[in-house]
Amino acid sequence: MTAERCREWRESLGAHALGQLPAEERAALEAHLEGCADCRAELESLAGVARLMPLADPERFGTAPTPPPALADRVAATISAERRTERRRRVRFGLALGGATAAVAVAVLALFILPGGGGDTPEQHVSFNSLPPGMEIGAVLEPHAFGTEIHVYVKGARSGSLCRVFLRDPSGNRLPAGSFRYRWGDDSQAILSSALDLSRTAAIGIRVGDRTFTAPVNPPDA
Amino acid sequence: MPPGALSRERDVREAYAAHAGELYGFAVRSLGDSGLAEEAVQETFLRAWRAGERFDPQIGSLRTWLFAILRNVVIDLGRARASRPRLADGGVEPAVEPLDDALLAWQVEEAMRRIGEQHRRVLVETYYRGRPYSEVAEELGVPEGTVKSRVYYGLRALRVALEEIGYDG
Repeated sequence: MTAERCREWRESLGAHALGQLPAEERAALEAHLEGCADCRAELESLAGVARLMPLADPERFGTAPTPPPALADRVAATISAERRTERRRRVRFGLALGGATAAVAVAVLALFILPGGGGDTPEQHVSFNSLPPGMEIGAVLEPHAFGTEIHVYVKGARSGSLCRVFLRDPSGNRLPAGSFRYRWGDDSQAILSSALDLSRTAAIGIRVGDRTFTAPVNPPDA
Repeated sequence: MPPGALSRERDVREAYAAHAGELYGFAVRSLGDSGLAEEAVQETFLRAWRAGERFDPQIGSLRTWLFAILRNVVIDLGRARASRPRLADGGVEPAVEPLDDALLAWQVEEAMRRIGEQHRRVLVETYYRGRPYSEVAEELGVPEGTVKSRVYYGLRALRVALEEIGYDG
């Protein structure tokens, strides 16, 4: 059997690949290699490994350095912060777009950021039009198993204004979704929730001080 | 959302648990500084998270993808370091190894850590320290033929370990 016949030669192949074989043994092995394709292939494979060896530093063969335990927490915190920033950016992004463009953006963004567990309704970016000069309001509605999560972004209202958010179902019933106080210079985003399913949400409204603004959700042409 | 995408914070935690050790090891090896290496690993996971939807397990493993990101991060950190003002009064800049060599070096070192102690020992003594087989055999109290055979099986084990690590040369 080939393997049996080659066994003795095989064990010299390592030394040969590393250039450690004395001249006499090397000559004998090379004579064998002439007629043995299996041993030649094995030598070539070991030589590939041997060629990498000069790159390594034997001082580093001991224990591998391990990352400090705190690094895991820092990475998790960085990602969490990134996730929050990303949400805020998305709300502002929705705000900056007009109705028709927003519908397209919703369709595109929904491919990437649809949260789990909310049925087939994609996330909705809502723009409020007809606002007083200097004022901006935007909202992103996310479908969830519990109902709808509402991210509201307000800018340019009077500091300290009470903002009350509600959703409207297809029959026109108004369902309060919570309130927050707008503070100038503060993080002007609030995250609220409602038991009303996003698929059954016809409109979102926000009462800022004594003025009420509403915007349609799930418009028929979206 | 494609299955296996790195799109939830939980996915990132799992990827960290599975691969951060190796990534950090390579970062330390190529940057030569544990603080910079931590920065590199953190940046790698952040970029992976941002590009999570683009990861396609059909194309390659998560590990390979993370290493590709880390490689870019290391290049960026290396550039940032190179653009810093040079040390005054003839201070010596550390020699920077080409990155692909650093990756290969790290792979060989990691493979060496994975093979058995007997195999590693003969490779270190005969190859890296250039000692004669007879001397190593005497020190280990084994016949010279055994040293030769351990060199052979050591190289084979190294080859397997390199394949496990992802070396495909």
